[in-house]
Amino acid sequence: MISMTAPRYFDIRCVRGEVTHIDIDNGVVESAGTSFFDSAVIRALGAKGWGVATLDSYDPSSSPEQDAALASALKVSAVTGERVDLAPATHTILPVPPLREDPADVDLDEKTRLLSEIEQSARIPSVVSTRARYSESMIDVIFMDSSGNEASYGITRSGFSVLAVASRNGVMQMGQEREHSITGFSLRHQQEMGRKAAETAVALLDAGSIKGGEMRAVLDPELAGVFAHEAVGHASEGDLVKDGASVLKGKIGEVIGSELVTIVDDPGLPEYGFEPVDAEGVSVKRTEIIKNGVLRSYLHSRETLAAVGDGDAGHARAEGGATPLVRMSNTFIESGDTDMDEIMECCRNGILLKGSRGGQVDTGRGIFQFNAEYGYLIRDGESAGMVKDVSLSGEILRTLHSIVMVGRDKKMHPGFCGKGGQSVPVSDGAPHILLYDAMVGGHA
Amino acid sequence: MPEREPDTLADLIIRCGMEMVEEVEVFTATGTGISADLKRSVIGVAEVSRHHALGIRVIDRGHTGTSGTDYPSRWEECLRAAIASARLTGAQKWEGLPEPAPLRGDIPSSDPDLVPPEPALICRLIDGMLEGASAHEAEVTGGGAGAGISEVRLANSHGIRYAREQTHVSVSLEAINGQSTGYEFGTSVFLSDIDPMKVGEQAAFFASHSVDGVEIRTGEYDIILSPIAAASLLSHVLLPALSGRNVKAGRSYLADKLGEECMDESLSIYDDPFAPGGIGCTAWDAEGMPAKRFDFVKNGVLECFAYDLKTAYRYDEVSTASAVRSGAGGAPVIGVHNLVIDGERSAIDDEPAIYIHDVVGAHTANQLTGDFSVEVSNPIRVEGGEFGEPVRKAMYAGNVFEMLRETGGLGSENRVVGRMILPAIRLNKQHIIGN
Repeated sequence: MISMTAPRYFDIRCVRGEVTHIDIDNGVVESAGTSFFDSAVIRALGAKGWGVATLDSYDPSSSPEQDAALASALKVSAVTGERVDLAPATHTILPVPPLREDPADVDLDEKTRLLSEIEQSARIPSVVSTRARYSESMIDVIFMDSSGNEASYGITRSGFSVLAVASRNGVMQMGQEREHSITGFSLRHQQEMGRKAAETAVALLDAGSIKGGEMRAVLDPELAGVFAHEAVGHASEGDLVKDGASVLKGKIGEVIGSELVTIVDDPGLPEYGFEPVDAEGVSVKRTEIIKNGVLRSYLHSRETLAAVGDGDAGHARAEGGATPLVRMSNTFIESGDTDMDEIMECCRNGILLKGSRGGQVDTGRGIFQFNAEYGYLIRDGESAGMVKDVSLSGEILRTLHSIVMVGRDKKMHPGFCGKGGQSVPVSDGAPHILLYDAMVGGHA
Repeated sequence: MPEREPDTLADLIIRCGMEMVEEVEVFTATGTGISADLKRSVIGVAEVSRHHALGIRVIDRGHTGTSGTDYPSRWEECLRAAIASARLTGAQKWEGLPEPAPLRGDIPSSDPDLVPPEPALICRLIDGMLEGASAHEAEVTGGGAGAGISEVRLANSHGIRYAREQTHVSVSLEAINGQSTGYEFGTSVFLSDIDPMKVGEQAAFFASHSVDGVEIRTGEYDIILSPIAAASLLSHVLLPALSGRNVKAGRSYLADKLGEECMDESLSIYDDPFAPGGIGCTAWDAEGMPAKRFDFVKNGVLECFAYDLKTAYRYDEVSTASAVRSGAGGAPVIGVHNLVIDGERSAIDDEPAIYIHDVVGAHTANQLTGDFSVEVSNPIRVEGGEFGEPVRKAMYAGNVFEMLRETGGLGSENRVVGRMILPAIRLNKQHIIGN
């Protein structure tokens, strides 16, 4: 082990805030209230790599505590064997988009009443269970590093989900709607979301199943956004590229997909994954991962940019006071110029996949999987019967070439992304897209 | 460590809280940990951590309120928030927090070999994995090792003062050969349960063995789900269906099947908080109820659902001591301690089958109906107890509840995967989507 008395670099990121939740289950307020968090991550570059101290109950105003935390991070860095260098970076912070209505100005009783209206609106015939949940986080972040860079900001995220379960003759199905935002209180005038979830659940009671196999598939903006996130976004993360765990390694400048495809990650967009500055205090910017089918850039932290090149730093993110990782923020497929009617007509016979139950990717193998909430068979260019429990899987590089049409109706959807045990808010988006030879899974 | 000890902070919170509400419960956890992450085959990041958790629950005339914080000195703010929370929730039938009761005192939850967690131990574990991985042609892309110790305490206004020390240790390794990947891991309370050499060897084996996989045609195949693959599917579908809360709320497929044979008659499923090697071993649940072993499914017949106190009181059921700390702000909710899948064991890999080491996308399964279609990882043809030809790529579509009705046998060895303890499971005539 190598020991040293001062780090080559250090940074400190303190995150303090509160989380409020409300859970209404079948008309009863099951739980509601506020919890508080306060933690910090202190990173120090030793002779080789990173030493990190993650501390709850950290007092940023205490010099002895800071000295002890740095000493502890530096000490543990002695076991690292990989020399880490940091690429130069800019440190400009974006303004946080203003709140249309600050959730802090709405008392918990009113939030509960509004959520209850959404939950009640899901109670239609055949629906046997309803549940609505609200969550709101208000966090304050303070960042400083040994180069003299400092940043601080506060951001509020809030949103809700509503679930309806329908049952008939022993068959059960569910529908779910959700809305999350960084731009203010979102519970007002949303009763139709409960009804929409309920109508989906009831409609699914009569939905059929498909056997699965290769077919043409139209992906709606939400699912196509998940495709951009799972199939391309993760594989472009600089840490995975650096460690040889991505099929996109070494392919910068190569045509890896249809020329119709441009995929972007932009943490500065005022969407759910917005970051005014990244978790290393680095300016955020729009990064074009794929431009017209050509791989242009990876997503980077300062470390991975220095090690790999080809891309932009400003993509390091962290859940609360956890260690920053290279992550996506707002990831989307750029709009094309095809109308939805043309896409359906070109598909002729296949499947329209709608909504998302999430997805996963093995970036080293280049295989992804994700599940739609439901779908519709397409016959002779028209939407036919509803189908349930349909998924899509495929090989990243092959599937990017299978995109034959890109619509003009891009829409972003909020969600959460997991990596390395951390969950961060993101948004994904796309217009409708048409895939040939898609591997669709079903259980008929 | 003794089960009862004075707890100054909890006593203070309870004393203040009792001036305003009928009952108070205080949960605290304090600990330290150390971990290191591999970047390829060298350590790139090493981390030390210190964590605190404080959870307060108050009950007043049937209204329950909770709050939590990781900054215990903010306990007054936390207590006020819990009381405000109780004012908002619906009043429910409530018969009181538990009183102190006799507990099993022979439940080991910490390992002296992990106290304190040291950097040298983490390095030894990583070296062991790398040595194991060198047995096969594959490059290490990532992984790591970690260890930690926590002190967990529970106190309530009825006199409960429980405490225990908990240790944990974990290792994992990711490897690749071309575009063939392999992943293995191990986690336990005890260092002696971890075999880093084997974890490394297995990760590299799956990466190297899966190279040049052959295509498979869409059709019905006999398969063997490894304990990892089986746990992934079961934890997303079966566990929610066994929760008493989901049963009473109309969100469980199993709700109306109590007393029915709804699984293969060779299968038994139970929660055993005392199961050797389980990472959820405890003498008391998150509400202070004495933990106990109980059967969910016995010889294929559904016998019981899991209940915490709140759900049991409301619906005139009996608590199964199934509360765990995973609700909002660390509040107690229904869960499992060590869910064991058990039954008659046999040589399930003698006859030809497709072995599936893991699945991609288990969390996208339909939690309500059990339907799923997932991508499989490291599918390999197996026969006569030997791995054979790898399969290049396939999806597996099915239904978790149907799958449990027609098992083709359980493997001989149990494995701990998260809070589940289970063997490999053979399933006949399953739908595989290939070419």
